[in-house]
Amino acid sequence: MELSRPWQILRDVVAVLVTGLFMFPILWWALTSIKPISAIFDKDRVVFFDFVPTWINYGVTMLGMSRSQLAIDQGIGMGVGGAEAYDSRRSIIDSMVVSVGSTAVTTVIAVLAAYALSRMAFRGRATFLNWVLGQRFMPPIAILIPLVTIYKTAGLRDTDNLYMGYLGLMLIYALINLPIAVLLMKSFFDDVPKDVDEAAMIDGATRIQTFRKVVLPMVKGGVAATAVLCFIFSWTEFLLSLFLTTDIRTVPVKIQTFVTSTGNEWGFIAALGTAAVIPSFIFILLVQRHLVRGLTLGSLKE
Amino acid sequence: MASVNVKKVFKKYGDVEVVHGIDLEIEDGSFVVLLGPSGCGKSTLLRMIAGLESITSGTVEIAGRRVNDVHPKDRNIAMVFQNYALYAHMKVRDNMSFSLQLAKRPQAEIDEKVAWAAKILNLEPYLDRYPRELSGGQRQRVAMGRAIVRNPAVFLFDEPLSNLDAKLRVQMRTEIKELHERLKTTTVYVTHDQIEAMTMADKIVILRDGVIEQVGTPLEVYDHPTNLFVAEFIGSPAMNLLRGAVVKDGVKVADGTVLPLPAKHKAKAGQKVVYGIRPEHLKPSRKGSKAKVVVVEPTGPEIHIYADLGGQEVCAITDERLVLARDDMIDLSPKLDKIHLFDLESGKALA
Repeated sequence: MELSRPWQILRDVVAVLVTGLFMFPILWWALTSIKPISAIFDKDRVVFFDFVPTWINYGVTMLGMSRSQLAIDQGIGMGVGGAEAYDSRRSIIDSMVVSVGSTAVTTVIAVLAAYALSRMAFRGRATFLNWVLGQRFMPPIAILIPLVTIYKTAGLRDTDNLYMGYLGLMLIYALINLPIAVLLMKSFFDDVPKDVDEAAMIDGATRIQTFRKVVLPMVKGGVAATAVLCFIFSWTEFLLSLFLTTDIRTVPVKIQTFVTSTGNEWGFIAALGTAAVIPSFIFILLVQRHLVRGLTLGSLKE
Repeated sequence: MASVNVKKVFKKYGDVEVVHGIDLEIEDGSFVVLLGPSGCGKSTLLRMIAGLESITSGTVEIAGRRVNDVHPKDRNIAMVFQNYALYAHMKVRDNMSFSLQLAKRPQAEIDEKVAWAAKILNLEPYLDRYPRELSGGQRQRVAMGRAIVRNPAVFLFDEPLSNLDAKLRVQMRTEIKELHERLKTTTVYVTHDQIEAMTMADKIVILRDGVIEQVGTPLEVYDHPTNLFVAEFIGSPAMNLLRGAVVKDGVKVADGTVLPLPAKHKAKAGQKVVYGIRPEHLKPSRKGSKAKVVVVEPTGPEIHIYADLGGQEVCAITDERLVLARDDMIDLSPKLDKIHLFDLESGKALA
């Protein structure tokens, strides 16, 4: 339907407003991250733009600079304290390793499982699917205590072995992500008509070749979407990471330590928080062109 | 090149039997059309020949070899699907060469075969396009190209034209037939469109509810339907079928009108029958059965007259330029040697 001119303008205005509403917290966060402490903690007014930007918060959290030194250099004496504890470079690496690892594990398993669920008839298929989804109904906190015990026994805690710690976190994220990933991938596979599989088989392809050369390339977009979802979940997960690891500090857990007994380090929290948006953002940019569902277009009639 | 033999084939889905023992011989190089209304088992039968559907009991042979348990890829068949089932992520060229690449043929041979198929199907300008960039008819040709590059023993078509518009359908019909004339590959073609079947087939197999009703050349099934179902299904407009009972000099229908019969006929006096006459064999005449005009449809070469005859609507076709209006009374006479009689109870033709 073609909208009349006033409606079009109204629609655009509303769209901009809604977008602005959703983007505002991110903007505010980014602003906070470059404000000097005096601007963040101004008790008389809300400081929007009239402050002298500072990179101290990034310097400390992302480059491991000493805050005391920076403060002295810049002649700021207020709230100086703490040192190494705010260096978040390790956390970023930890988060990267765990998120990328768990995303890879989840995606591979989900794609294979979803293909089987979509294409092969086997006893208990529907039950299995419900059971898979059922796993997701359980709140992680409900399984936390047994999980910690299990991890301790299985040697999957980083206090025993750092690498096992990474593996442990990847595994639990994969487990939490799998139900949704399988379901999502199944819907993408279901969108590819079975005739395509059959055509490939008649063309001489084995089941594996059909999957690898025909069906999988047709659901590339779906794989990308699933991977993004898993990555974002792993990147932002807090609870399990907090309980299952000690040396490994993923970004959300790290940020939480900035709330200290001597005060909340809003500048650092904002800086790391803003920086933490960037990897997800890059990841989404990378797979964005695959995020188009129309990829199966053309294999079918109109 | 191969013959296909279907022997006593049954198909059950759980407890539901959908194909009830089909015997069919398809000769090497022939074009056989499986025709029937939806749900008659024609696609199931085709898919059993292709190996996409398991065979509950019976045997399917291709080129004399029993293929019941042979994987589709090893049956040396090619199939064209109703929705084309193209590989959307591959260019037209790769769609067509996929089977040859899987078979690890030398690149030179692949290029040659693809070029040959593209030439036959007029796809040369489109080889480097993706299926989504093609029109419906072009996609249909790609699906056919994919089938012919392999030089298979049997072509299987599953309602390949039903997604095309009417004009394109007629054109593709001719193209498929030409292709068959040229390649002489055994072809099994499934359709519910009786005109497609009539125009393309060497042999038509008419199916209903999982059994074969009649097998014959297009004109055989048109001129000599062996039962009421075939008589009704083949032909457009459909054959006029009037219920009645055989009396001394004809068939007496519901309102007492007596329709004429040829001197020699196989019906017994008093037998309940269905009197069948094709519209083109029922003509307006000076003296015949009285009928009241309902609708007149001029098609150009001829006029279709729908009229009420003996309490039932019948269709008569004439090439005379009659000027008729609703409720006009006309006389209709059947061609005596073109009358079909069917037993009312069994539906079988009384030949």
